Amino acid sequence: MAAETWLVWALIAGMALVAFFTRAVFILPGSHFRLPPTAERVLRYAPAAALMAIIVPDIALAHGAFSVSIENPRLVGGLVAFALAVSTRSILATIAGGMLALTLARLFAA
Amino acid sequence: MQREQISAFREGALASASLLVGIVPWGIVAGVAMVSAGLTQAQAVAMSVLVFAGTAQLAVLPLLIAKAPLWVMLATALVVNLRYIIYSAVLAPHFEHLPRSWRVLLSYITVDGVFALFAGRFRPGDGDPQKHWYFLGGSLVMWCAWQLSSWIGIFAGAMIPAEWSLEFASTLGLIALLIPLLFDRAVVWGALAAGGVALIAAKLPLNLGLLAAIAVGVAVGLAVAPRGPRKEEGRT
Repeated sequence: MAAETWLVWALIAGMALVAFFTRAVFILPGSHFRLPPTAERVLRYAPAAALMAIIVPDIALAHGAFSVSIENPRLVGGLVAFALAVSTRSILATIAGGMLALTLARLFAA
Repeated sequence: MQREQISAFREGALASASLLVGIVPWGIVAGVAMVSAGLTQAQAVAMSVLVFAGTAQLAVLPLLIAKAPLWVMLATALVVNLRYIIYSAVLAPHFEHLPRSWRVLLSYITVDGVFALFAGRFRPGDGDPQKHWYFLGGSLVMWCAWQLSSWIGIFAGAMIPAEWSLEFASTLGLIALLIPLLFDRAVVWGALAAGGVALIAAKLPLNLGLLAAIAVGVAVGLAVAPRGPRKEEGRT
């Protein structure tokens, strides 16, 4: 399970640079630059697109194949989590409910 | 510190105390998810301190488990952190008069919640000489809460058996983070398009599918968006 050590440290170092420089890009030079509206839209749409592009394959693929079925516990857990996230807006309820649904779906699939 | 500085610092710290309900469970989940994804405790603590960006930390974990290449993980971290560029542009005029060391510190410590409080409370050019103390007070509360709750998760996570599949908690956490980002019709359509492309393209080499999905998602969002300046939604 453990990933290669050098890879994880390189990931941490690279992410630290990314996280710092996205925040510092205008603060550090003390710039008065105003983002054009289209640029601001791109910067707002991209994170939601990225999160969805990570979430969907993670819950809808089982062993690399598209699996929309009650037999796929991750899909069941993910859909329950989506419903809870929309209705409660609570991180805790989303994660607890999703994990519970995953566990129950596994028990029934077994 | 002078009295006005202490008072601004305390005002910021008290204001951000209202955000603790959100960040503490979130930090615990991130801590558990990092060790469940295979990071050692030292690596997980280093990531919390050096990166200090919860969304990016959680977003790379499913990719690390799927053995995605390093550059794909870094590109993903960059994309989910793009919102910080907006914050940086808004904050820059407030902090331009400060020494470089202050600007480095405030850049490192910027988080969503304190940015929203600060941008609602101060205007550029309002001449308030102590507002960076407000920002620092609020941010330090969030920094401490994030580190402590992450460490709880990191050390608790190591005791949880792998059969519980707690690494799935990072994906569930991303779902909780995604919903508040879906603030208008365009971003919803963009995200749906990105999810569809990611699914179709999952077999592409080097996880190019993820990057293609993001590009298509942004393009669909822009195509659906109404022309002209978007009206402010009152949230960040």
